[in-house]
Amino acid sequence: MAYTFSFPEEVLEHVFSFIESEKDRSAISLVCKSWYEIERWCRRRVFVGNCYAVSPVMVIKRFPELRSIALKGKPHFADFNLVPEGWGGYVCPWIAAMACALPCLEEIRLKRMVITDESLELVAKSFKNFKVLVLTSCEGFTTDGLAAIAANCRNLKELDLQESEVEDLSGHWLSHFPDSYTSLVSLNISCLGNEVSLSALERLLGRCPNLQTLRLNRAVPLDRLPNLLSRCPQLVELGTGVYSTELRPEVFSNLEAAFSGCKQLKSLSGFWDVLPSYLPAVYPICSRLTSLNLSYATIQTYDLIKLISQCRNLLRLWVLDYIEDAGLYALAASCKDLRELRVFPSDPFGLDPNVALTEQGLVSVSEGCPKLQSVLYFCRQMSNAALYTIARNRPNLTRFRLCIIEPRTPDYITREPLDSGFGAIVEHCKDLQRLSLSGLLTDRVFEYIGTYGKKLEMLSVAFAGESDLGLHHVLSGCDNLRKLEIRDCPFGDKALLANAAKLETMRSLWMSSCSVSYGACKLLGQKMPRLNVEVIDERGPPDSRPISCPVEKLYIYRSIAGPRLDMPGFVWTMEDDSSLRLESSR
Amino acid sequence: MSPTLMANQNQGESAEYLNWLLLLLITFSLLSLSLLFKVASAVYIYKDPKMAAFLFSLDQFHSLEDMGTLKLIGAPQTQSSSSSSSSIDSNNHPSRTPPPPSSPSSRVCRNRTDLSTDLRLGLSISPSSQSESPFNPTPREESFDWPPIKSILRSTLVGKQSHMIQRPSLFVKVYMEGIPIGRKLNLLAHYSYDGLVKTLGHMFRTTILCPNSQPLNSGNFHVLTYEDREGDWMMVGDVPWEMFLNTVKRLKITRADRC
Repeated sequence: MAYTFSFPEEVLEHVFSFIESEKDRSAISLVCKSWYEIERWCRRRVFVGNCYAVSPVMVIKRFPELRSIALKGKPHFADFNLVPEGWGGYVCPWIAAMACALPCLEEIRLKRMVITDESLELVAKSFKNFKVLVLTSCEGFTTDGLAAIAANCRNLKELDLQESEVEDLSGHWLSHFPDSYTSLVSLNISCLGNEVSLSALERLLGRCPNLQTLRLNRAVPLDRLPNLLSRCPQLVELGTGVYSTELRPEVFSNLEAAFSGCKQLKSLSGFWDVLPSYLPAVYPICSRLTSLNLSYATIQTYDLIKLISQCRNLLRLWVLDYIEDAGLYALAASCKDLRELRVFPSDPFGLDPNVALTEQGLVSVSEGCPKLQSVLYFCRQMSNAALYTIARNRPNLTRFRLCIIEPRTPDYITREPLDSGFGAIVEHCKDLQRLSLSGLLTDRVFEYIGTYGKKLEMLSVAFAGESDLGLHHVLSGCDNLRKLEIRDCPFGDKALLANAAKLETMRSLWMSSCSVSYGACKLLGQKMPRLNVEVIDERGPPDSRPISCPVEKLYIYRSIAGPRLDMPGFVWTMEDDSSLRLESSR
Repeated sequence: MSPTLMANQNQGESAEYLNWLLLLLITFSLLSLSLLFKVASAVYIYKDPKMAAFLFSLDQFHSLEDMGTLKLIGAPQTQSSSSSSSSIDSNNHPSRTPPPPSSPSSRVCRNRTDLSTDLRLGLSISPSSQSESPFNPTPREESFDWPPIKSILRSTLVGKQSHMIQRPSLFVKVYMEGIPIGRKLNLLAHYSYDGLVKTLGHMFRTTILCPNSQPLNSGNFHVLTYEDREGDWMMVGDVPWEMFLNTVKRLKITRADRC
């Protein structure tokens, strides 16, 4: 029975405007042609998880009224230096295309991409209402590009350079913000190396009444911090600079007064080179803190316990393993609302433990913090028993990343593999979305993951498994798998080829130092036209070696844009017709 | 039996024999034809004899359901990390220059295969120690890509190991009543009043009392006082240590009977 009337377009558009989630929007556009048309004209925000999965022209053509775009470039393992320099992830073609076609663009969020000063200048000049620039783990630009943004973007609200690699030519770029500029809401310059012009910063802070987030870089001295804070007492999130200086009483009291004056302050980070005597300055505000990032703070257990036990409302804690089991026990006792814990290694290359941090710390937190959802934990020993306990205590875990520092470390009590421990995690934590494995693991752990990890979206594997059966279990069992990254595992061709169709349902697959042969890559590239199969091999063209020789690194991702054209000399795309392959000496 | 019957039987037998032979020949030729066809089609489709040969070898693999019972074909497939070299530099420098093709991560794995070689050579190493690090007495080489921490954290931590030794200092003057020449003392080298009092006791060869104790004979004892930033002289020990550190300007050891 045909639906004889429908709502006018404006009404549908209004209804659609309440739908924010990308998945829902995609679902709307599949209902019928007219809904597809209406939806695409009113889509304001798009997230492209892999910048090579689609071309800028395609995106702009489909969504001509975009206001906000988010792009991700390099694979996640690029964070750990596994992706060679020059691999790609260039945002230039996107910005060039958007500069012409989307003059109303307001927000650009990039992660792991390469952006140049020229692109930044283009952004500054082309988008009149530009508001938000977030560059997470990006590279390729200098402070000159930032100066262009500062000088031209009159309505800029957010400038966030989180963990990017910026060539810091001078601190004067900050002075390019004109005196009439007052709309700053969020500024994160924590990755910059040089000192910014502090007087310019003070004036900037003074004239921006809506500033909520300020993350300074290490070069900002502690004795200038009170002055800066007094200009923006409405601050909600603060990243300090270096947290030590000559011990002078007036500095301490100024600091304490400045912190107390920020009545809205909820999040603290920074804390490079902490001098523990200055830590009590933050005690007055600890009870309001919800987020504390002490990843760079080399403070000992005692001082950490004193600080953390006052932060009763903490939701998120990032800390070095100086916290030790004792500190984690104190955390579990004080911070009952904790949602996320990350413990980083203070001595990642030492063989023997330098701190008293074991699996017990994590077990205590899992017992004491009922709302814990997200864990990243570096340690040196683990047992199946501890993992069972954690799994039973916290079935609400959604992210569990465990890194036992020495590869292939077994259960330290029974000397067995950690298969059953991780198996318990995936079995009990039914909503687990992200999992990272470590320690001694056989194919059994993958069998558990394939059986129970039905909601798993991202899996990271290193130094694990025994045969292709492991990979086969994961690819055939995990229905919601989107990203799989593997390094140094004995997985070869069989599982990959048998599950080739699965790869089209995933965003990407990374395999490095495994046993996938060049022949299998070629086959996959030829049989699956909607996959880009890229071989990364710095030893030279794969043709010069036998076809059964394993490739160094393999990156497979689905794409509707075809093979990319900006590959460096060490990347080869396996194409449908091998005669069209470009020469490697480009 | 009559000779004609026997002759007929023989003829029948040989005909049967011939039939069997024919059947065998046909089956064999069909098989070889199909094989040839497969090869030809492989070569035709992929235009690459190397690829065809590879495909062939792939076809020999059984379905993956049987994999559990199959031994893995070809040892090279399992020892991946020692055969392939990844292009990671062992220098612990977070720079972006392309590193030479040496692999600390595979070196880590190579240690394990070396151990297994040792086992085969009959050395007395227990098998359970294969994955134990103590058999590798030298510290693990700093790998560029393991453990998985970001470059920013890596560069902050490197060189931080000895930082705890180089603490900043706060030197204050200390005078003892009746002695014109004073001493200087680093307050930050101590973590509490106890340590401070002990050190001063050694420096000035006297016993320093804590504020609340009652001395039997107050003649030979001293107490510790300090000048705070407001210029007042106060007894040491009343405020928390950190607060004391923030307000103290100098110390004085006075006789107990003066207070």
